[in-house]
Amino acid sequence: MAIEDFAFLIPLLPALAFVVTFFFGKKMYSGGALIPIGAIALSCIISILITINLLQNPEEVVHQSIHWFAILNLGILIDPLAAVMLSMVTFVSLLIHIYALGYMSHDPGKARYFAETALFTAAMLGVILSDNILQLFICWELVGLCSYLLIGFWYQKPSAAAAAKKAFLTTRVGDVMFLTGIIVLFSGIFKIYNGNLPEGVYVLQFSEMFNLIPQLSAMHTTILGFEVSQLTIITLLFFGGAVGKSGQFPLHVWLPDAMEGPTTVSALIHAATMVTAGVYLVARTFPMFMGAPDALIVVAYVGGFTALFASTMGIVMNDIKRVLAFSTISQLGYMMLGLGMGAVVGMEAVGVSMFHLINHAFFKALLFLCAGSVIHSVGTQDMRQMGGVGKIMPITFITMLVASLALAGFGIPGTSIGTSGFFSKDAIIETTYLFAEHTGNYIPYIFGIVAALLTSTYIFRLLFMTFTGKPRTNYGGHESPSVMTVPLSILAVFALIFGVLTQTKFYHFLEVTFENSFVHVNIEHLAELGNYDLVHNPGHEPLFILWLPVIVGVAGLVISYLIYYKKVVDMSTIVSRNNPVYKLLYNRYYQHQIFIELIALKITYGLSLIGEFIDRKIIDGIIDGISDGTIAIGETIRKVQTGVVQSYATAVIAGVGLLIILLKLIVEVQ
Amino acid sequence: MANYMLLAPELVLTLVALAIMLAGLFFGPNNKNILGYVAGVGLFAALCLTIGGLTVNETLFYGTMTIDALSQFFKIVFISVSLLVTIASIKYTEGNKNADEFFTLLLFSTIGMMVVASANDLITLFVGFELASLSTYALAGFEKNNPKSMEAALKYFIIGSLSSALMLFGISFVYGMTGTTSIPGIAENAGALASSPIGLIAVVMLIAGFGFKMALVPFHMWAPDTYQGAPTVISALLAAGSKKMGFVAAFRVFVVALALLSPNWQTAFAILAVITMTLGNVVAISQTSVKRMLAYSSVAQAGYIAIAFAVMTPMALTGGVLYTLSHAFMKTGAFLVVAVVGYMVVSDNKNAKDIDHLDNFKGLAKRMPLTAFAMMVFVFALSGIPPTAGYMSKFILFSSTIESGLVWLAVIAILNSALSLYYYARIVKYMYFLPASGGKISEPKPYAVAIILALAGVLIIGIWPEPFVYWAMEAAKVLMV
Repeated sequence: MAIEDFAFLIPLLPALAFVVTFFFGKKMYSGGALIPIGAIALSCIISILITINLLQNPEEVVHQSIHWFAILNLGILIDPLAAVMLSMVTFVSLLIHIYALGYMSHDPGKARYFAETALFTAAMLGVILSDNILQLFICWELVGLCSYLLIGFWYQKPSAAAAAKKAFLTTRVGDVMFLTGIIVLFSGIFKIYNGNLPEGVYVLQFSEMFNLIPQLSAMHTTILGFEVSQLTIITLLFFGGAVGKSGQFPLHVWLPDAMEGPTTVSALIHAATMVTAGVYLVARTFPMFMGAPDALIVVAYVGGFTALFASTMGIVMNDIKRVLAFSTISQLGYMMLGLGMGAVVGMEAVGVSMFHLINHAFFKALLFLCAGSVIHSVGTQDMRQMGGVGKIMPITFITMLVASLALAGFGIPGTSIGTSGFFSKDAIIETTYLFAEHTGNYIPYIFGIVAALLTSTYIFRLLFMTFTGKPRTNYGGHESPSVMTVPLSILAVFALIFGVLTQTKFYHFLEVTFENSFVHVNIEHLAELGNYDLVHNPGHEPLFILWLPVIVGVAGLVISYLIYYKKVVDMSTIVSRNNPVYKLLYNRYYQHQIFIELIALKITYGLSLIGEFIDRKIIDGIIDGISDGTIAIGETIRKVQTGVVQSYATAVIAGVGLLIILLKLIVEVQ
Repeated sequence: MANYMLLAPELVLTLVALAIMLAGLFFGPNNKNILGYVAGVGLFAALCLTIGGLTVNETLFYGTMTIDALSQFFKIVFISVSLLVTIASIKYTEGNKNADEFFTLLLFSTIGMMVVASANDLITLFVGFELASLSTYALAGFEKNNPKSMEAALKYFIIGSLSSALMLFGISFVYGMTGTTSIPGIAENAGALASSPIGLIAVVMLIAGFGFKMALVPFHMWAPDTYQGAPTVISALLAAGSKKMGFVAAFRVFVVALALLSPNWQTAFAILAVITMTLGNVVAISQTSVKRMLAYSSVAQAGYIAIAFAVMTPMALTGGVLYTLSHAFMKTGAFLVVAVVGYMVVSDNKNAKDIDHLDNFKGLAKRMPLTAFAMMVFVFALSGIPPTAGYMSKFILFSSTIESGLVWLAVIAILNSALSLYYYARIVKYMYFLPASGGKISEPKPYAVAIILALAGVLIIGIWPEPFVYWAMEAAKVLMV
């Protein structure tokens, strides 16, 4: 049997591990952690083997499908896009699980922890493997549920419970949009076939959806006076789902709070599972976006703005995990920005964006696990109470440095020397430059460059504040155990060299995602539909443009070095309650206040008060009346049931008589 | 030469029933319930034989019996219900010196129902009807020392005899006007019957006869008393099995034989369906005995199934046929749960009264988690909540109603479903949200097995309905020729 035949085991093994660990984990060694670890390791091996097969022959995708009911099926599809995601998710998740063996060793609820993370991984793998949009949505919701459970893992803590609720409700806004998108899509397909859906064709499968792009794009509706194609509406709604899951502006508010869960959960959410699901959704349905360039522009702007917006807040946070949270939001913005460039570079956009996603997974997981290592040892998350940690935790310090260099994108343009983040982030920024050159719109490029400067600044600020200088409080720290440092070192190696090794191969591999035995998309035709031209042979960018991202990266390092190491500028003059810019940033643009106090408390609560009044007084009154009436009638009728058999016989005979008379009348009238 | 192998399920059951009767002589009262295993094996063999002959389409004995998709479908319903009841009864008859008679009667009633399912002649149909009825009269009064059980049997018998008389009366009219008792023969010669007022009287008489088994209002009045008084396992048989006999007989007689008179009986069934479901649900609300509540719920369910006659499109018939299968599992399961709870109450306190009172369900989720969960699924299935068998059947039935333009009927049916949720959800509330009054108890194995099988049936049909819908469609096709 070929390894492809075992593809269905990839999500199934972690799901089974969840069941076993959940019910029997408490009695096992270390909360049954070894079961999910083993299951995910097996999934990882299968994924990587399939990816290797696929690398040699990218046309031969793995596709298996079984009939579910009516026009729906359950199926798995492993094309290049899914393959790289699978390998990354299983691999990073495996390392995080191993690390958690050490990190969670003292927690009494670790059986529950490992069961839930296994389910989390299984759900994410389900999202990646789905061959139809409905199944993807089901797994997508399961991811949301698991994130709720895991963020609120320490549910005794009010702040954790609140954060879990916030994450759940905020992503729910996106989920509703996603579901609406599926409904609009389905109704569109229904119209295309005039209500006669063909037998034996699963219309919600990606291949069918992509085949129908021309018809969908030809359907128009008028919204607020604008004529919009059905395809644009669908893609924008899908993107709405992605905004919620991937923490894009303005639905990013849940991500920083999601830090309330265990740090390993944060790593899992931020690197391997959950947040990348949104980017993946856009990449998965990318041919539809290609047919709707208006939606692509929205993706680009939202992504670019998020990248910049989040990095400004990253600069002022004092909680080490929150800095990383804003960093994630910002990097996800980059990925969306890369996807948004599809109208110029075509399928390369998927390659560029996914490349950054994979690299980001490695270095962000590493950053979080390093932060976890520090927190585990020092016992606080506040960077103002740290300082000099590098001396007592050398391995953590070095791995964190590597991750930071990767995040800031250090490397030498034109050569193959550089961290993985360098190759992917620069590729995105170069793509935006190409876009600017081609369309004359420089805004996405400016977003990208300024965000790069800020990224470098905040990450080195974190590094200097935490690892250098003298301890600012008395903490008795120590280096973490090897079960934690080994995963760190492995991830560090990947963060350092993954980009160099795979760069060109990666793009070519992903560019053919939508041209294979299962799906065939003609990109030129899509460009025609969307009425734009693709750039086929981009010339080389000017040297300055190539170097600029690195220059701003170094500039960020220098700024942080001067302020936080050399203390050239006295921070206390800037960090004060009187400085309006600082206040604005530190309060996260007052988004919390706007969301909670204005929208939630005043508007929504006010509306619900009115709703409650109507519900209680008017609707309930009617309902209660009806039900009281019904019960009273029931009480009356039951008295007919006398228990005397003679009356029963009478009822039968009377019934026959009445029925005859009634029928006679009715038939005669007819 | 007729292929007698087609009757193998009936023959096997007859032999097993006779064997049990004989073997009963050699067993002491303490281990007679072992014979239940024999009955179970016999039923299982009959089930396998019936499933083996799913695709047959032949007639036997000069056209008086037919083996087709419809008969096989209903036979499987009957055998499944009997099998579940038999398994549970292994516990119920423990230590009873009449256990051999119990199982013999149970098998005979099953054979009677199977004969009705296959009947292609009114006389054959009547004989099968009586075989099943007489056996169940005795079974309803099985607890000889329990006055309630005796009362139940007696009422059942009196009203049953009256209904049999009405049915025979109807048959005699049909025979008189058409000159034949063969069902296809009647269909050919129904012209005279349709043009005469006697046709209307014959239809109403037959409706009364079958309506007694189906428990359609106003022929239902025996049902609550009998279901409540009879041993709970027998209530399950009556509500889930013998009731379906009325439906299969009505399918054959009205839809096939009296198709020409459909304006008459479609109207009649529409009226009866509305009255039946509404009265069943409304009265069920004010019951405090769970058994009695299930009895009224069973009346209401008959009203839903009767919609199939009122609409009479292929989709409606498919829905009706599928509903009988779903109802068989959910109703049997629900009654068996009541039986287990009764067992629990008696083991708490030997002299307990009102063992089927709703209060005994308080905190059941803590005392018997499996049973409570199963009951929750059963009552949700009865009220039509996905993903259960009840939802799927209701969905097909109600949508067929809308499809053929009878929106008012669909609205009434859906309102009724909403109403029924009140008393179904109340059981769930009692089981899950009220405090328990005793410790954890483990269900007796036979009950647990039967309940799990019923639960599996309800969930499998609900989650993967396609093969069952297809199967019901095949059965309904027999009627539409």
